[in-house]
Amino acid sequence: MEEFENSNLLDIEEFDEEKMKAESADLLELRFLTKENAEFKRTKGGFVSLTYADKTYDRVNVYRTFPVSEPDAYISIREADEKAREIGVVEHLDKLEKDQAEMLREQLKLRYFTPEITKVIDIKTEYGYGYFNVVTNFGACRFTIHNGGGAVVSLTDTRIMITDLDGNRFEIPDITKLSAGERKKLDLFI
Amino acid sequence: MSETKTVEKAENKEAVAKWLALPKGSYSGLLKYEIKKEDILYKANADYDEEFRFVQNYLVLTKDRLVFICYPYGMQGEYSFGGYAGHKMGRTIEDAEPLLRMYLLSEVENLEIIREVSGGALMGKISGQETFLCRFSNSKMSEMERLCKNLEKIKKEEELKEEDILGKKKHECCPKCGTLYPDQERKICPKCMDKKSLFLRVMKYFFKYKVRLAVMFVCYVLIGALNLAWPYLSGTFLYDKVLNKDPQLVAFADSFGGKFTIILLFAVLTMVVTKLIIQGLGMLHGAMTARIVPEVVAEMKEEIFNSMGKLSISFYNSRQTGALMTRVLDDASEVTGFFVDGLPYIFTNAFTIIATCVIMFSIHPWLALAALFLLPFLTIQSYRMLPRLWTFYGKRHRASRRLNSQLNDSITGARVVKAFGQQEQELKRLGKGNRGVREAELDVMKYDNKFNALYATVENLSSFIVWGLGSAIILSGSNLEFGMLVTFAGYVTQLQGPLDFFSFVFRWMTDCLNSSQRMFEIMDAVPEVKEAVDPVRPEHINGKIELSHVTFGYEPHKPVLKDITFTVEAGQMLGIVGRSGAGKSTLVNLISRLYDPDEGFIKIDDIDVKQMGFKELRQSIAMVSQETYIFMGTVAENIAYARPDATRREIIDAARRAAAHDFICKMPQGYDTIIGSAGRSLSGGEKQRISMARAILANPRILILDEATSAVDTETELAIQESLEQLVQGRTTLSIAHRLSTLRNADRLIVVDDGKITEEGTHAELIEKKGTYFKLMELQTKALAMRGLE
Repeated sequence: MEEFENSNLLDIEEFDEEKMKAESADLLELRFLTKENAEFKRTKGGFVSLTYADKTYDRVNVYRTFPVSEPDAYISIREADEKAREIGVVEHLDKLEKDQAEMLREQLKLRYFTPEITKVIDIKTEYGYGYFNVVTNFGACRFTIHNGGGAVVSLTDTRIMITDLDGNRFEIPDITKLSAGERKKLDLFI
Repeated sequence: MSETKTVEKAENKEAVAKWLALPKGSYSGLLKYEIKKEDILYKANADYDEEFRFVQNYLVLTKDRLVFICYPYGMQGEYSFGGYAGHKMGRTIEDAEPLLRMYLLSEVENLEIIREVSGGALMGKISGQETFLCRFSNSKMSEMERLCKNLEKIKKEEELKEEDILGKKKHECCPKCGTLYPDQERKICPKCMDKKSLFLRVMKYFFKYKVRLAVMFVCYVLIGALNLAWPYLSGTFLYDKVLNKDPQLVAFADSFGGKFTIILLFAVLTMVVTKLIIQGLGMLHGAMTARIVPEVVAEMKEEIFNSMGKLSISFYNSRQTGALMTRVLDDASEVTGFFVDGLPYIFTNAFTIIATCVIMFSIHPWLALAALFLLPFLTIQSYRMLPRLWTFYGKRHRASRRLNSQLNDSITGARVVKAFGQQEQELKRLGKGNRGVREAELDVMKYDNKFNALYATVENLSSFIVWGLGSAIILSGSNLEFGMLVTFAGYVTQLQGPLDFFSFVFRWMTDCLNSSQRMFEIMDAVPEVKEAVDPVRPEHINGKIELSHVTFGYEPHKPVLKDITFTVEAGQMLGIVGRSGAGKSTLVNLISRLYDPDEGFIKIDDIDVKQMGFKELRQSIAMVSQETYIFMGTVAENIAYARPDATRREIIDAARRAAAHDFICKMPQGYDTIIGSAGRSLSGGEKQRISMARAILANPRILILDEATSAVDTETELAIQESLEQLVQGRTTLSIAHRLSTLRNADRLIVVDDGKITEEGTHAELIEKKGTYFKLMELQTKALAMRGLE
């Protein structure tokens, strides 16, 4: 009964067989954006535009495909509208022109912005919540997490990501660099 | 009623004013541009600057302007995200003069949020140019979303309502003490809840067992008293009186014949009997507990089940079923456990401590002081150490749960593991989990050992002190005797248990009160859909259904159905078409009154369903839905669910008509096969056919088919289709289907999209119209043709 489920996915308003076929062919192909075939430019508003295959996109989204294990490779460039269709993939930032790679790095930095916790001042737990008082590389702050239930995730053996009640993310890039006392406070969550 | 409303209104007004408030400096800055405080229509807070440093910037909307108020970084102190009793900044920027950036609303085409992983950026299309405006964290996401919406509204010259400004609250705190509610749906502060009334309410469950309680209480008192007497017997009495040949005792013994061995025998017997009595009383008390606890637990559970049955379906939707189960099963036991095993000991242990201390001080004050001074330290230390022990236990629990699910994973996925030849990798994965459990276990052990070491140390130290000091006192020829010293040491040991008890009992009590609060909450919950006080009970229902301007949403301000109006005459069939999530199932749920519409009304035979008795309403409606549910029981019981009095013949007849008879007969136990969670498992199609038979047997006036044939194969569907056609005869039918061929016989069809009726008419009319229905029809015919199904 798969076909009916699929029919729900189709946008019936835009039903057009030819277009559908072309689109699904598009979906199957992985396209690489290279120095030769693509050009990124800064826009006045502080975003990045792209010219690729004779088409200019006024603003593009820049996503990482392996944010943890390989942050600079396989960067997915997507359209800026709601559907965020993929335009192509940059195999590695280093393979682009330096200034263009820099532009994309800026965009990535904005998208994946995560304060790094450099010091744990205090962690208090009460009635199902954990109250953190920390210093980050962007200044001192306090935040609250749900105890238990995946608020603290180990990305690697030493790298930790913490998500607070509102969905803000914080990172500890290397727990071994924290003092023994700080690690002890964190120990309850790892 | 009206009074509370005005109070609410005033409160809301206050909340709006509070929301719109800005630091003083901002007002004076805005005044320079002739923007007064009253002109501010909406305000949103941006908490990052361009370099993501924590700041406190604002975006303000007035009738004709968008103002960005910017306080440079460095003026604010420490930043708090949501959860710390709201959002707060450490240092105040109250009087500082901010920088302002102004945009005329006529230039701002729209505002858009660019969502990032841990926050967002606000972008505006200003004079045709996409311009970056500000950054903010996820904590500010919802107020920024409202900013975008409110801009649209202001541009359209619509007035902003309170909810447009305030939005929906999340992470609510207790207004008294600022603690975050542990469960956001239950706005109950564990610090401020009324503990006394909770306590009394739980006690009521026990008062029924007055006699047993009295026996238990007597046991407690006697055990306590005998325990107090024991050190005296084994110390002073044995050594000082008997072995020391106390003259008084010897004189007393002379009257019995005067033999010392008899006195000794008598002393030992007394001691043995005392111990036996203590044991016996303990057993009696245990027996009483064993009789009271299960009964109280059962009673509590029954009451919870009872009230859960009465609750509306929305209660179940808003809470996870699993969490519900834990509540029912665990809370009652937890509460009862504390009241039986915890509460009485608070009194007896407190009594023991006080009495022991009094006795010790009366024996020898200085020795008592020396023995006791370490004990408070022990209690305080274990009170401080316990939370950590609990977290270690929690960690161990989590680790073993993780290992279990990993194990479960690789066992259920064994086929895939083998097919890809990944046994090695699986082993490695499991090894990691296993090590995790080992480490957690070791942590618990280590910490537990620390505990034991602490206790042993304090115990031994106290003993050393008592024996050392005591011996010194005896040797110095003071008034202390050896037996007395033994008694004394006995009392010191006896103190430790009760002291230890007090280090954890308060946490236990809080947990228990929390559980009882949760339990009573279910018992007290008022169903949202209530039967009318004096309901109409029509004897016969024809089945005319009328919906008029029905609007409904699961959450306020988020309507799933908008202004739905249609009428189905008795005996007609209405087909409902639309994509998933369009609101079709919600629509039919409203008719059987699982929910009540927010606006508009639903009438059956010109009677508002709200006025109709639950029994009459639900007996006249049967639903076969996409979620089939099979109860534990035999096939026959499942089919006869709505009519337990149905004869076997009727059951077979219904099963035949639902094309279920054949597969039922093929099962070895036929209609007597036990199905449901513990019994034989059925395929999706089989379940659906059984629930179809259930509906056929119920013989309702109104039949609702919600994707009734979605899980059966094409051949069976054709068979069921035929029986459905018979079934539909003479009944009002509402049928939802993705497979449009199912709806061919419908008298009329409606197409629902995004909660609204977009097309309406007969099959021919809709085909003629060449709208959504036509397109769907084409698409499905093509898809079927491609797969050679039709």
